[in-house]
Amino acid sequence: MKKISILQVAYKSLLRKKTRSALTVLGIAMAAWVLVSLFGFNRGYESSLNKDIDNLGFQMLVVAKGCPYEAATLMLKGGTGLKYMSESIAASVAAEPEVDAVTPMLMQVVFDPNKGESGGLAAFLGVDPATYPRLKSALPFQAGGWFREPEAAEAVFGYEVAELEQREVGDLYLIPEKEVEVKVVGILQRTGTQDDGTIFLPLGTVQKVFGVSELTSIGIKVRKDADMKAFEDKMYKLPDVQVVSLTQVKTTIMTLVSTARVMVFSIAVIAILIAMMGVVNTVLMSVMERRQEIGILKSMGAMAGDVFKLVWLETIILCGAGGLVGTGLALITARLTDLLVRRLLPYSPSGGLVSIDAGLVAVTLGVVTAIGLASGVYPSWKAARMRPLDTIRSEEES
Amino acid sequence: MKTTSPSSTTESASRPRAARALVPAAAAALLCAAALALYAAVGCDLNDPDRDVKRLFPGSTGYKTLYVSISRKGGQDLLQKIEARLGDRFAGLFETIDVPYTMYEIYKGQELIGYIHGTNQKGTYGGLQVFLALDRQGVIRGFYLQKLTSKAAKAFRDPAFGGQFLGLSLADFYAYDIVTGKEDPPGAVGRIANPDTASDRDFRAILRATKKNLVLVDEFLLGNPHLKFFKG
Repeated sequence: MKKISILQVAYKSLLRKKTRSALTVLGIAMAAWVLVSLFGFNRGYESSLNKDIDNLGFQMLVVAKGCPYEAATLMLKGGTGLKYMSESIAASVAAEPEVDAVTPMLMQVVFDPNKGESGGLAAFLGVDPATYPRLKSALPFQAGGWFREPEAAEAVFGYEVAELEQREVGDLYLIPEKEVEVKVVGILQRTGTQDDGTIFLPLGTVQKVFGVSELTSIGIKVRKDADMKAFEDKMYKLPDVQVVSLTQVKTTIMTLVSTARVMVFSIAVIAILIAMMGVVNTVLMSVMERRQEIGILKSMGAMAGDVFKLVWLETIILCGAGGLVGTGLALITARLTDLLVRRLLPYSPSGGLVSIDAGLVAVTLGVVTAIGLASGVYPSWKAARMRPLDTIRSEEES
Repeated sequence: MKTTSPSSTTESASRPRAARALVPAAAAALLCAAALALYAAVGCDLNDPDRDVKRLFPGSTGYKTLYVSISRKGGQDLLQKIEARLGDRFAGLFETIDVPYTMYEIYKGQELIGYIHGTNQKGTYGGLQVFLALDRQGVIRGFYLQKLTSKAAKAFRDPAFGGQFLGLSLADFYAYDIVTGKEDPPGAVGRIANPDTASDRDFRAILRATKKNLVLVDEFLLGNPHLKFFKG
């Protein structure tokens, strides 16, 4: 007589009620799908957001007290109101242990009488070729690259200003009012930020052309392990400067992300509990329907442990299959989920919003299997405790 | 002023400024606002249509804005036709087939009295924007350099320079070869004096922008009445 393993018996038992087994697997698959997608979204969103914030280059801006640090503010003030600070401040800030890098900047504005009927303003940002490109390494170039010499007569144009001035790499540009020619060496891709409308010149060139030896702002990149709050407090104590920090923005967003994470976790727990109840219900029903069969098995010599193992295995098979189907679905629909979430959210970072990797898949399968183990305990115990005489008698009575 | 929104016109084109938010919402909004404030008009629109239309067309009471593009009107075939009439190939950022052209129909009461159209042109040191005010026959009645980056900017923006274009039409410009800068046979365009010979490239860029402007208006607004003067 051919011997069959307990696994095969469990498998065949499940096949006897195909629809019920399939629906149970589907229920678990949905829970696993939700679990993987939600955690994948949580991870992807946070990672993309962090990347976007890192791409800003610096998280803190130190400007001379009262000096407008946004080009828009400067324009509203008619290009006036620039305040300066000494270059030595950049050196002293760079010496702080929390600082990873600093980049000095000088903004200048000139009146261009040939823009429109009554003239307009043109703004230039002088940046240090040695530090700014390194900090702003995420700025993508459409053509060309950064200038390399601190006093080169060269310029890098933001996307929109290049369009407006119809400049291409190699073209010349005339700084209005100063009548100084510079050569365009790079054009940035569109970024959707202030950089699109900025003309970048080497810091030394701006200082020389405009006759200003000081700075208007210093960009600071803080070390990842630094205490931002303590460092900010330290910067606030510097005389005659004001500190503009993106830390607050980052902290607010990360708080929102953390809140979302709690919500995500709660939804996942609910999904798991529902799936668990479904499994317990299905297996328990199956056990009750097979009372006589279990009684016969026991009367043939099957021990309580064998029956327990059999029912438990059925539960694990159901959960394992559901987990595999669910993670597969999550992987297949990850792109779709990304698109859907992106349409629904008011703000989405630029990178992928759903990040599913092998680790997440393994954890999900582990969790689902654990759910299977936990859900199967009661029905298995119930089946193992059945007494053969009672089950056969109850069958006769019915 | 009588105006219509772009969506109500027969032809419209998407504007080349699909802004994308990059960083945290607050920072992005602030930074985008700055970028927009700096360079709000990438296309060749009048900076202040209400004021500019009245100045270029004294006595006008309203205008209607139309958006047209070569790609939507006739595609590659039309582009080749326009290039042939211009006598030069379209090149660069502002001369792609899908560039949206903003054209203004000018009204006095219910009566159409003319048109205003501007074109972008690459100059030696920056972009030029040449606007023409035209009557219903396509004759230049007003000349306006809205934007100009040139060492001779003052001379080119002098009313005396712009005055030389008044009364000319596309029929006059056909004889002017924008590639060589010569007019054969010599005519009205050849008599337009360059106020600064050191800025000859910008002078020729202005003439090219003017001819392109006239060809586009003839094609898109006037129904090609000047095509009969084109000798191919």
